[in-house]
Amino acid sequence: MRGLDSILYESIVYLTPTLLCVLGGIFAYKANVLNIALEGMMLAGAFVSVLVAHSHENKLFLAYLAAFAVCIFLGLVFSVLGVTLKGNVIIIGLAINMLVPAVAGFVMKLMSLASIPVKWFSTNSIMISIPVIRDIPILGPLFSGHPPITYISYLLILVMYLLMYKTKFGVHVRVVGENEDAAINLGLNTKKYKILAVLIGAGCCGLAGTDLALERLSLYTNNMTAGRGFIAIAAIYCGRGDPLKCTLYAILFSITNAVAEYFSLLVSASLLLKVVPYVVMVVVLSAASALNRRNSRTRGAFSEN
Amino acid sequence: MKKFLAIVLALSMVFALCAVSASADSKLKIGFVTSAAGANDNGYNRSAVEAVKACAEEFGFDYKIVEPSASLTVGQAIEALAEDGFDMVLNLEYDFAALINGTGATGNVPIAEQYPDVTFVIFNDNPNVNEDGSVKFSNVYSCMFNVNEASYLAGYLSVYVNENLDKLFPEGYSFTPTSEARGIGFVGGTDSAGIRVFSYGFMEGIQAAAEELGGVSYDYYPVYDAGFVDSAAGNTTAGNMYQRGANVVFADCGNVGDGITERAEADGKLAIQVDANLDDTHPGHILTSVLKITGVPTRSLIEAKVNGTIDQLDNLLNFSLGSGASGITDLATISGFVADKDCWDEIVAKVNDKAEKIGSGEIVVTNAQNGDEFDPASCPLVVVKSN
Repeated sequence: MRGLDSILYESIVYLTPTLLCVLGGIFAYKANVLNIALEGMMLAGAFVSVLVAHSHENKLFLAYLAAFAVCIFLGLVFSVLGVTLKGNVIIIGLAINMLVPAVAGFVMKLMSLASIPVKWFSTNSIMISIPVIRDIPILGPLFSGHPPITYISYLLILVMYLLMYKTKFGVHVRVVGENEDAAINLGLNTKKYKILAVLIGAGCCGLAGTDLALERLSLYTNNMTAGRGFIAIAAIYCGRGDPLKCTLYAILFSITNAVAEYFSLLVSASLLLKVVPYVVMVVVLSAASALNRRNSRTRGAFSEN
Repeated sequence: MKKFLAIVLALSMVFALCAVSASADSKLKIGFVTSAAGANDNGYNRSAVEAVKACAEEFGFDYKIVEPSASLTVGQAIEALAEDGFDMVLNLEYDFAALINGTGATGNVPIAEQYPDVTFVIFNDNPNVNEDGSVKFSNVYSCMFNVNEASYLAGYLSVYVNENLDKLFPEGYSFTPTSEARGIGFVGGTDSAGIRVFSYGFMEGIQAAAEELGGVSYDYYPVYDAGFVDSAAGNTTAGNMYQRGANVVFADCGNVGDGITERAEADGKLAIQVDANLDDTHPGHILTSVLKITGVPTRSLIEAKVNGTIDQLDNLLNFSLGSGASGITDLATISGFVADKDCWDEIVAKVNDKAEKIGSGEIVVTNAQNGDEFDPASCPLVVVKSN
């Protein structure tokens, strides 16, 4: 039982940053300005949160705020270049992904640090342990003993779902993405919706980075996001931008990842085990796609691939 | 405007020529290429850089520290220094292709062959051999750190600490008691001889202590593929090891190690760091650090070059525990957290005794980086749980 609890707990550790990127990224995906800079923005959030915490003792709130602000700023840069000036969003995203670790590395070199620690702060101090629930098997590791942003991410699943499907804003974002000409004919300010969609994603990446670095490790090491932003993009594509489906894919990936990590201590060929999450992802994606195809009634240009 | 530019260009060329002729005097020049971590890292580069600077002051030579980057590869840096008339070039990065084998850009002529009068010094590996095992270039010197011996001490220390947790660390930690499980973990960045050399020495140290304690058996959890980047994943790996009953995890994986030591503090356990003295990064939770003190070989080779005795040295140089180039820390940081000082002093004395025996050659530790084969059957009390 302890093993299962530990797998579930570590799944949530992995899930939180990925899920936040997914929930933020779906709006840009739906608005047809795919944000591949999720990785870079998350890294910026991680870097700034730890940097501010490192230099401002006992001002945790400031660290959260700074990470969020910097990511919103990167979102604005992305929007201005990609939406207002109509640059290629893939290239701009790539540039941000390359720029962030370079700037972080440069600053760390100036500070003569190989990694940035936050010595005054213990991650245990912000873990929220919920009475009663923490003693229930399975539910305990999922819903108790996590830092604040993890609970925010749980809440955001619902918020993003409502925002996407139950508000005018969500409808407009989707219209802009599906048919921009129609949106213009409706009198919508398409640029505004695209920019807002990117900014939602950027803000979520700020939270993701803060969770990954400050809340879980109180430590920044360069490139620590290690591809989580791209996993998020994969989940967004798998779930086609639907908040609930994308969340499911992110959860699936996190659980297989934690299972593989757990068993890598018990069997040989742990390198092979590292492939398991990706294999599961491909298999599930193929299966889902095959089922979708069978159920789709429309064919040709109007079918949803 | 064009004229002005032309004048500026012409002038700068004159100055460039002057600079070249000025440097053509007989003063010794030593170039130093750091590893990717840069000169200001936590100790691996810094130790050697400080040795270069101290020697420069002492012997009066010119030096230049170069940090490789995406636009300046290690090979290019070495070649530029050799081209520039440096008499000796040291390279701390694990990148020897251009020096020993040549790359396309240099017409496949190895740099060591192009500049036979320049002394090249490399660390951590000995690629400077022909297929028959003979020395390839006599102007290349490979320095190896016998970290297997230091790892042995770390493993030996870990077992004695683990068996005396009640006395040493009665409060403020949450260890798995030996009545439930005996486990020790190892996390390496990549599966290579340069990483396994730590693990095998570590295992032999565990075995030695376990034997002395009447044959207690230790579960060993080695992971050799944690990478050097994903500190959050390292955190999870260490967490799994601690959860399975390990109280000590040896982190040999660069920045990923910081994620592991963070976990040691969060879970109330112990970790062992590597390369530099990082004991005070999580005081009380880092038992010791296995050191590569790059300054020691750097100084001894520079001295040999200055004195003109470098030709008498072997091209493969092993720096053992006794030379001071490898070892474990003086344990000063962790000592401050120990409750039972008498018990602790006894353990430290035992460790020092082992260090002496290794120094005198009485104990021989497997050295995987020099091609020694490791026989798992020699460590029957260390039960390897994964690969």
